Amino acid sequence: MPGLGTSFGRGGATTAQQDLANADCVLIQGSSMAEAHPVGFRWVTKARERGATVIHVDPRFSRTSAMSDLWVPIRAGGDIAFLGGLVRHVIENDLAFREYVVHYTNAPVILKEEYADAEDLEGLFSGWDAEKGKYDPASWRYEGDDLGRPRKDPSLEHPRCVYRVLERHFARYTPEMVERVAGIPPALFHRVADALVEASGPERTAAICYAVGWTQHSKGVQIIRTAAILQMLLGNVGRPGGGILALRGHASIQGSTDIPTLYDILPGYMPMPKAGAGEETLAGWLDNHRKETGWWCHLEAYAVSLMKAYYGAAATAENDWGWAWLPRVTRDHSHFSYWTEMADGRMEGLFCIGQNPSVGAQNARLERRALAKLKWLVVRDMVEIEPAVFWHPDAPEVRRGELVPEEIDTEVFLLPAAGHVEKEGAFTNTQRMLQWREKAVDPPGDARSDAWFVHQLALRLKAKAEASDDPLDEPLRALDWWYPETPEGEPEMEAVLAEINGWRTDPDEGGDAPHHGARVEGFGELAADGSTACGCWIYSGVYGPDGVNRARKRDPSGPYGHGWGFAWPSDRRILYNRASARPDGRPWSERKALVWWDEEEGRWTGHDVPDFPAEKPPGFEPPEGATGMDAHPGDAPFVMHEDGLGRLFVPAGLEDGPLPTHYEPLESPGRRNPLYRQRENPAARWFRRPDNPFAAPGDPRFPHVLTTYRLTEHHTAGGMSRTLSHLSELQPELFVEISPELADELGVDHGAWVTVATLRGAIEARAMVSRRMRPLTLDGRTVHQVAMPFHWGPAGPNRGDVVNDLIPLSGEPNVTIHESKALTCAVIPGRRPADREYLAWMEETFGDAGES
Amino acid sequence: MAIGDGPAGTNQGEHDYAERGVTVGFFTDPTVCIGCKACEVACKEWNGVPAEEDDTWTGDSYDNTGALGASTWRHVKFLEQPERLGRQVAGPMGLAEAGEEAEDPFRWVFLSDVCKHCEHAGCLEACPTGSIVRTPTGAVYVQDDVCNGCGYCVVSCPFGVIDRRPEPLPGAGGAFKCTFCWDRQSSGRVPACAKACPTESIRFGPLDELREEAAGRVGELHARGVEDAAVYDPRDTSVGGTHAISLLLGDPEPWGQPPRPEVPTVRLAAAWTSAIATAAAAIAATFAAFLLA
Amino acid sequence: MTAPGYFGRPVVKPPVWTWEVPLYFFVGGMAGMAAVVAAAAYLAAADPGLVRAAVWLAVGGSAVSTVLLVMDLGRPARFLNMLRVFKWRSPMSVGAWTLSAFGAHAGAAALLLEWIGPAAPPAEVVPFLRVLLWLALAGAAVYGAVLATYTGVLIGATVIPAWFSRHRGLPLHFGAAGLGSAAAALVLLGFDEPALVALGAAAAAVETGFGAWIEARRHGAADRALREGRSGWMLRSSGALAGPAALVLWLAGAAPWAAGVFLAGALLGRYGWMEAGRASGRDPEATFAAQQGG
Ligand SMILES: Nc1nc2c(c(=O)[nH]1)N[C@H]1C(S)=C(S)[C@@H](COP(=O)(O)OP(=O)(O)OC[C@H]3O[C@@H](n4cnc5c(=O)[nH]c(N)nc54)[C@H](O)[C@@H]3O)O[C@H]1N2
Ligand SMILES: Nc1nc2c(c(=O)[nH]1)N[C@H]1C(S)=C(S)[C@@H](COP(=O)(O)OP(=O)(O)OC[C@H]3O[C@@H](n4cnc5c(=O)[nH]c(N)nc54)[C@H](O)[C@@H]3O)O[C@H]1N2
Ligand code: SF4
Ligand code: SF4
Ligand code: SF4
Ligand code: SF4
Ligand code: SF4
Ligand SMILES: [Mo]
Repeated sequence: MPGLGTSFGRGGATTAQQDLANADCVLIQGSSMAEAHPVGFRWVTKARERGATVIHVDPRFSRTSAMSDLWVPIRAGGDIAFLGGLVRHVIENDLAFREYVVHYTNAPVILKEEYADAEDLEGLFSGWDAEKGKYDPASWRYEGDDLGRPRKDPSLEHPRCVYRVLERHFARYTPEMVERVAGIPPALFHRVADALVEASGPERTAAICYAVGWTQHSKGVQIIRTAAILQMLLGNVGRPGGGILALRGHASIQGSTDIPTLYDILPGYMPMPKAGAGEETLAGWLDNHRKETGWWCHLEAYAVSLMKAYYGAAATAENDWGWAWLPRVTRDHSHFSYWTEMADGRMEGLFCIGQNPSVGAQNARLERRALAKLKWLVVRDMVEIEPAVFWHPDAPEVRRGELVPEEIDTEVFLLPAAGHVEKEGAFTNTQRMLQWREKAVDPPGDARSDAWFVHQLALRLKAKAEASDDPLDEPLRALDWWYPETPEGEPEMEAVLAEINGWRTDPDEGGDAPHHGARVEGFGELAADGSTACGCWIYSGVYGPDGVNRARKRDPSGPYGHGWGFAWPSDRRILYNRASARPDGRPWSERKALVWWDEEEGRWTGHDVPDFPAEKPPGFEPPEGATGMDAHPGDAPFVMHEDGLGRLFVPAGLEDGPLPTHYEPLESPGRRNPLYRQRENPAARWFRRPDNPFAAPGDPRFPHVLTTYRLTEHHTAGGMSRTLSHLSELQPELFVEISPELADELGVDHGAWVTVATLRGAIEARAMVSRRMRPLTLDGRTVHQVAMPFHWGPAGPNRGDVVNDLIPLSGEPNVTIHESKALTCAVIPGRRPADREYLAWMEETFGDAGES
Repeated sequence: MAIGDGPAGTNQGEHDYAERGVTVGFFTDPTVCIGCKACEVACKEWNGVPAEEDDTWTGDSYDNTGALGASTWRHVKFLEQPERLGRQVAGPMGLAEAGEEAEDPFRWVFLSDVCKHCEHAGCLEACPTGSIVRTPTGAVYVQDDVCNGCGYCVVSCPFGVIDRRPEPLPGAGGAFKCTFCWDRQSSGRVPACAKACPTESIRFGPLDELREEAAGRVGELHARGVEDAAVYDPRDTSVGGTHAISLLLGDPEPWGQPPRPEVPTVRLAAAWTSAIATAAAAIAATFAAFLLA
Repeated sequence: MTAPGYFGRPVVKPPVWTWEVPLYFFVGGMAGMAAVVAAAAYLAAADPGLVRAAVWLAVGGSAVSTVLLVMDLGRPARFLNMLRVFKWRSPMSVGAWTLSAFGAHAGAAALLLEWIGPAAPPAEVVPFLRVLLWLALAGAAVYGAVLATYTGVLIGATVIPAWFSRHRGLPLHFGAAGLGSAAAALVLLGFDEPALVALGAAAAAVETGFGAWIEARRHGAADRALREGRSGWMLRSSGALAGPAALVLWLAGAAPWAAGVFLAGALLGRYGWMEAGRASGRDPEATFAAQQGG
């Protein structure tokens, strides 16, 4: 999550759900926490019972809004304008937490002469290369190019210091502009501004919660950045009841970015080596990514330990720790890129494990059709989900005559998977906490865990590799696949956890498995000389030499739940918690004390594990030319960064600018961006193609804003809820939420059928007419928003149209996430044409795929 | 004890109310209910209650369950009302009190409804087979192995709770309703619905304590500007109070709750007097007719 | 959305009872009162044939009633659980016991009657048998009268507004209907005793009064099911048939016509009340109105 990563140093929530109870104000925006994280929401409820103000900024009056003190309706895609307005409000009125900002953020840092802001270039930053459609970020770096020891002006007067640049950048985000862009009346804007400011400072803190209502935008990362800037200005990061809580999705989605299922990072947020970037050797890769100062000075130790975990004894100093065996990133291999390649017949086979892209993925029509171009498809799931039946006579594409079962060559394998209660292992939850699950019941029939599948597949692949002498198979031959098995042939999950935790590689030092030594206490022990192996450095310490599986712990103590599970890194529950104390090491206030400097003991102490070198005194000044952590002074809480400072301005690491800027969604109801000439995010990926068209801005055929969301009663693509009668009966049908005003305009009654259409597709749903949806006034004209839950699909007992048939493929520049939360649509009374009439109807209704 | 106290709270910990014969109850508080329906699902899962036969979309806000019945022992109600919720500012619909231009007020409130386990239970008194009994913790319990499905309890419940389960559902023909999780309670466990409730909107514990808690809560809410909060626990009618009390905002009617529920047996005396008199009169008249003729 | 209450949904549950129950009310009432007629006729030494017919009407009626009740149960196999306990506060329980007691006495009476009559037993036991017969008839009469009236209590002591708002009148109404039906049935069987005509007329008179009372003392929404919709139509026409229409015919001396009309009215009336119970139970405003002291 680069939004948080580039601002604070780590791509994870800065706080824990329990800590929300300590907040004086909770701003929930871009999430319907009560609906999508109901159990975590108990802590928001608790905070509210203690007198905190709860604010929900959302296009819909949702179950979360119902539980809030203040609901602020916003135009989908208007968040940067709104948050930017708050940033401006804080700076203009001098409401920032000055001492915090000056010491703990890069506000005083002076930027280069060459740097030009969106303010001057009509929405672009310096370094834009129109041909490449990319930025050259060189001009964003600090003056003197030294990110470790930047030049500062603590008075914040210097015209090129970050604080002043910030002030200029957000100057035009006035309350009036917020209303024009986001449809939020000044009266409401000021309610939020006052509530946040009142709940900030030494005595009080405010927290922000977000989820995919922010990320699923062509500028998602920058929305989160704006929130990060606001929280740093208000001094709310690293303190109890403060921070930014990224509410993650699937039970272990945080885990699957820590130990990534992503193509471009290695475990522990180390970048995947790129082809043609001088990263053929470990040394070359280190030159590109190791930081002289700050925590990433340890990069080599983590990388070598990872290679030792992968390849064991086969990885030696002589063979560059097997670095050559790692695959290289040759181009964009994100979901949409390989899926469009699949659609173009340039992909042979696919493993679809724990995912339902025929319903959950954007332009689902395209994605379902693409499956027919595969030679083979393996679906591992607990139920027969849509991808496994895309060829079936009931499948929409077949009924519409787009696919003919007889003509599909794809060989489909549906393998039964064990569910989460039918196997043991760890989840990493939304607050970076590993929790071990015991196996409750045996999986039914032939169902097996995914670990079993991967393990058995690996054994067979290795066997094939051993039998061949093809140099391409070398990485497989070198792979250190040693896991002990249960009687059922499942790998021992605690053995895997031990490898993730890390150990000494020399067996002579004793230890509990044949081919390695004692386990390490934590990542502090990891070395670059091959003496240690570690599967994921940030998890190190979860299963140490004492043999205690900390993910299994269940005896919580203290207000932050220590003793329940294990939060990376090193069981720190609130990250950057050095910032909870003044520069001199004393707590900002008794009420908000978390960690502080203990003079007698000469170490940091408190209610949480200090996220700071335990013995570095607050007054520490780095000696000339110091490197690594020694280069940080005693008041630099953001230890991952070269200078230990929080980044209001991001000098490196972002594709679409050092500061957040409001751009219109790729499909937007207005012709222009009220703020700049530059309309959309310049660096956004469109994946424009005939089968992925976009409506032109302000296209009168698609006057309404469409956003999508979740229902508490269902889970994502529905495989885990539409198939269960006790959940299914609670929300039996797809509906679209529309305001009474729009219903009148369209002449549809509550409960009537309507068709919702975009250039990608048309679907039918029941009209849910409610005042929970309110029309907005943008730039003087009324804009209606409609919202749809996306849980329905064409297979299983409870079926419905696929909302993702409406949504285009598109990619945010940093993480290539789709824009499912803001697009435009038409709402037409009545049901959509069925089966074979469908295509003809689409053709004659929207004939020219009005590409812009 | 506050929300989220975990095992420390009565909602999560073990208890010995059954052994000690303590009268327990529920206190359901809509002002902390997030409408997640976990209680509904937990109830069906734990008690093996089948899904309703008819699972069509109702369009009644987010409520597709509709009502309590033989196969719904917990029911979360969703009300969209043109009212203020205390000092809540519901977007343009809530700015009124600041004098800013605003629309009519609006609020969305949720309440988890359940069998009231009445002090004087119409269903229990009406049951001719003695199938309905009172548990040691004061709950009203239907013994499924005794019930013969006569259906008299159905028309004797002032709150429209108990019902006869139709074919083809399992157990069809019998009358069903909330068991107050007697099976769980008797082994020291908290009822499944209360245990599952993430915000402890469903509070479980000794009835007298809950009644105090409820009174206190109303005071709290009034102080916070939620003036129309009131405890729903009809004690001044023949029902004599309920063991599943709740807090309502505004009148009971919009919540589908009877304003003055009466247990049907209050009408027995009058009705029987009339019946006996009629019987006697009929006998007298008939004998007279024949003897005089 | 201006639907009353919670999305216009019922506050109480409407009765789940099906067609058997109203028919049971009708047959049970007639049978019960037939026993009363039998006892009176026997005591008055009226036509032995009438006594015999009345007794068999009671016996047959109690048998049919039992079958109907069992059929209506959700779990007919458990009918005997009705006699598992006696609960005086449960009209259903009292009714079940009453029906059993009635059946037993009426049955005994029938057997004794047949024995003493055609079977011509030894002369010395006859007086003793007559005493037994008399006791059986008396018991059957008492239980029968209760059987014919308790059904009014049964539905009067419920939460159904249209029913409980009439909990005082219903037993009278059901009793009169039962007595009238018994008389009418016997008339149609060919007995034209003046006593039967008198009883029939009296019952019709009571029904006329009851109908007038229903129309006069209205409870607004609470009991609108008695006047509006399908149930209103059924009840009003049944009231007209069993009330004024029958009364006039009785007095006009058209006994068989009066009897037919009364029976039709009485039967339709039982279904009318069941229908009114359903409509009223489904109607949230009825419950609210009834509780706002309507
Ligand atoms: N019950 C349930 N819980 C779930 C899931 C589920 O499917 N069901 N899914 C899990 C997963 S995978 C995830 S990722 C999380 C997602 O958790 P959430 O992000 O909370 O879920 P959503 O409902 O997709 O979106 C949240 C809110 O964003 C609002 N929104 C839409 N567009 C905008 C916008 O432009 N600006 C702002 N401010 N708000 C906007 C929507 O109206 C919605 O209320 O939930 C997880 N939890
Ligand atoms: N329009 C729109 N589209 C969206 C979103 C949105 O907000 N709006 N949200 C997006 C988000 S955040 C997400 S996360 C995706 C989710 O989209 P998907 O992940 O594609 O949908 P899921 O239904 O979560 O798919 C998970 C599948 O894994 C199966 N499963 C569960 N446990 C296991 C297991 O242990 N092993 C195996 N092999 N299978 C298992 C389930 O049965 C289910 O079928 O949807 C995305 N799509
Ligand atoms: S589904 Fe699981 S993870 Fe999600 S809120 Fe409920 S308990 Fe928490
Ligand atoms: S609410 Fe109804 S079902 Fe529950 S105890 Fe009272 S009368 Fe019986
Ligand atoms: S239906 Fe069952 S529980 Fe209800 S009254 Fe009849 S016997 Fe009792
Ligand atoms: S107490 Fe038990 S039976 Fe009653 S509603 Fe709760 S979970 Fe269901
Ligand atoms: S579980 Fe609790 S919060 Fe959720 S609906 Fe039920 S009562 Fe409300
Ligand atoms: Mo997600």
